[in-house]
Amino acid sequence: MPSGLFLDDAAARLRASVVAIVDGGHGAGFAWRDDLFVTSAHVATARKAVVLTPDGRAVEGTVVGRDVDRDIALLHAPEARVPAVTCGDPYALRPGALVFAVGHPLGVRDAVSVGVFQAVRAVPLGFGMAEQRPRRGRSPFIPWVQADVRLAPGNSGGPIADVEGNVIGVAAMIVSGLALAVPAPDLERLLSKS
Amino acid sequence: MTDSRSSIAALSDQLADAVAAASAAVVAVHARPRLPSTGVHWKDGVVVTTDGTVKQEEDITVTLPDGKRIPATFVGRDRGTDLAMLRIPSGSLRVAELGDPAVLRPGNLVLALGRLDEGGARAAFGAVSATGGKWRAWKGGEIDRWLQSDLTIYPGFGGGPLVDSGGQIHGINSGALSRPLATTIPVGTVSRVVAQLLDRGYVPRGWIGAAMQPVRTDEGGGLLLVSIEKDTPAAKAGLLLGDVIVAIDGKSLESFDQLLDVLSGDSVGKNVSLDVVRAGIQRKIDVVIGERPRGRGRAGR
Repeated sequence: MPSGLFLDDAAARLRASVVAIVDGGHGAGFAWRDDLFVTSAHVATARKAVVLTPDGRAVEGTVVGRDVDRDIALLHAPEARVPAVTCGDPYALRPGALVFAVGHPLGVRDAVSVGVFQAVRAVPLGFGMAEQRPRRGRSPFIPWVQADVRLAPGNSGGPIADVEGNVIGVAAMIVSGLALAVPAPDLERLLSKS
Repeated sequence: MTDSRSSIAALSDQLADAVAAASAAVVAVHARPRLPSTGVHWKDGVVVTTDGTVKQEEDITVTLPDGKRIPATFVGRDRGTDLAMLRIPSGSLRVAELGDPAVLRPGNLVLALGRLDEGGARAAFGAVSATGGKWRAWKGGEIDRWLQSDLTIYPGFGGGPLVDSGGQIHGINSGALSRPLATTIPVGTVSRVVAQLLDRGYVPRGWIGAAMQPVRTDEGGGLLLVSIEKDTPAAKAGLLLGDVIVAIDGKSLESFDQLLDVLSGDSVGKNVSLDVVRAGIQRKIDVVIGERPRGRGRAGR
């Protein structure tokens, strides 16, 4: 195919930083540093979890930070040696800009799904989120990266990236079909505190 | 920067440009509790959205692209094509740049736009899945073109536009016409309904005032008249209970839809020639199509 209109460069780079987190269930995560991993708090629920690296090793990770309200957990895995991601700024994206997710939807390893960015703000009323009493970590009133990208169980904790492969959010959940991710700037704030 | 990065980034920019251009004519319509729907500024002072999302005909407001919320007046609705029309002050925002849906082919990249709050327009991305000719919605309306895509019509996206990668608007997306598929009411149909709603406040439907049932005859199919109301086009033309219509304008009747096709569009006032079998003898009877009285259901065509 001659056109070069493909995400394979960016996707290959990002996939090299994505891991699977096994903690009873199965979720995704990515390398913030070569030994520090970001995932969802609802993926890494125990004190320890197994980190499956892109090159097929299973290494032990210890939860060193957790923010249930923002649904983020940090895992330290000294033996992992996985290349770190680069971060992007979701607030700089325009609606309609291409984004992609990497995760393990329904157990399919390192699957890429492509879509477009919608907004980074509170979830609109009527999306089935504010209706229920907000559970911890699921408040509709805090900003979420919202994207038209198909996610499935197994994407949680994985990255959503801009077209260059820079991570703009951490996939957290699907509400009325809409992908919600924790904005990367919030993540950086959490990491600077820990 | 490698070639592949720059060209995919260019596509991403182009899609965002298309959203920015088209969304200048897209509003949020507050005509139901809680979640608004989306509307398109179809022509100056005229906002089109889907019928199903307009639950109240008074106290309607729209949110403009600049975040300002202004009152809008209900003009009319057409359940058959799932469209509703509102009036806003002239010059409130840009008028939609309309494309020609006939140029869209399966595989073309398209966007669905929505405006749900003051936080800017939103987009869903996908491809045209299938196109085709005229069809009839289950709600009864005649739609000029079949235009289906794999776009997700999120809550509140109903009434929003289908946009091509150049930012032109090709129709209004409806989740209600063929759920769960995203179906677009194409530009031609929307413009026809807008003209009729502006003209009369409703879309006139053709009607002859008789109830019919399909039957088989020796020569093929037909429609048996099982009731004829007084002072209707059918009664005035001299049709009688028990007549079997076997052809319309010389074309033999294969299905009930043929009659619906004759009665749709701008049919009111037109003359149709029916071939009718009465007591075993075929004769021709001319009927002038009338306008279906308003506030009636599907019965009594």
